[in-house]
Amino acid sequence: MVGMDRTASPGIVLVSHSAAIAEGLAAMAAEVAGGEVRIVAAGGGPDGTLGTDGGRVADAVREADAGAGVVILADIGSAVLSVRAVLNDGMAEGVSAVLADAPLVEGAIAAAVTASVGGDRDAVRAAAEDAWNVRKL
Amino acid sequence: MFESSDPQRAVRLPEGIDLHARPAGALVRAASAYQSAITLSAGGRCADAKSILQVLALGATGGTEVAVAASGSDASEALEAISSLLATLS
Repeated sequence: MVGMDRTASPGIVLVSHSAAIAEGLAAMAAEVAGGEVRIVAAGGGPDGTLGTDGGRVADAVREADAGAGVVILADIGSAVLSVRAVLNDGMAEGVSAVLADAPLVEGAIAAAVTASVGGDRDAVRAAAEDAWNVRKL
Repeated sequence: MFESSDPQRAVRLPEGIDLHARPAGALVRAASAYQSAITLSAGGRCADAKSILQVLALGATGGTEVAVAASGSDASEALEAISSLLATLS
């Protein structure tokens, strides 16, 4: 168990097969949340193609951490597998990071707003996962 | 959770100003500062004012009447602040 600084704000990492999706969503979530949240995009494969890159995810997790832990959201399939590999292989050792089981866009918005109002890592993860319960219609 | 004695107020959103992502984020951040439970109702839907996704799902457009209700120790302050924020969205 890694110690967490409860006075800092938890970070958020957005993992997508597409760099454009991850970066666009990071900008959108920051705007809705008021821009005071640590959100780092980790999109695309190693050579700029569609895909995911474990090394980039691990770097993003370290960058997002301010001592209060990190919540990671991923899009689909192998993005989820890449994040799990990063966590299981200790590639972001020293950071208390968790993967939220949440839809990427809605979860990122909910997570960012929750972090902006002082939610801790677990509250941020819970807000992201609660996105499954909010219907659009 | 809400009692009939809890303070409630109906507020009309300014014409042409929808409760979309950015203003909804500001509203949720303001609501989160209060201990009280706060709900918004519009168009037959009800949202927890501290949940960005629920507030966005209201789909409240400019000119719509939104009913605000608050329940808790700081309910009257919360109601005042949230009603005033909704009425002056820009």
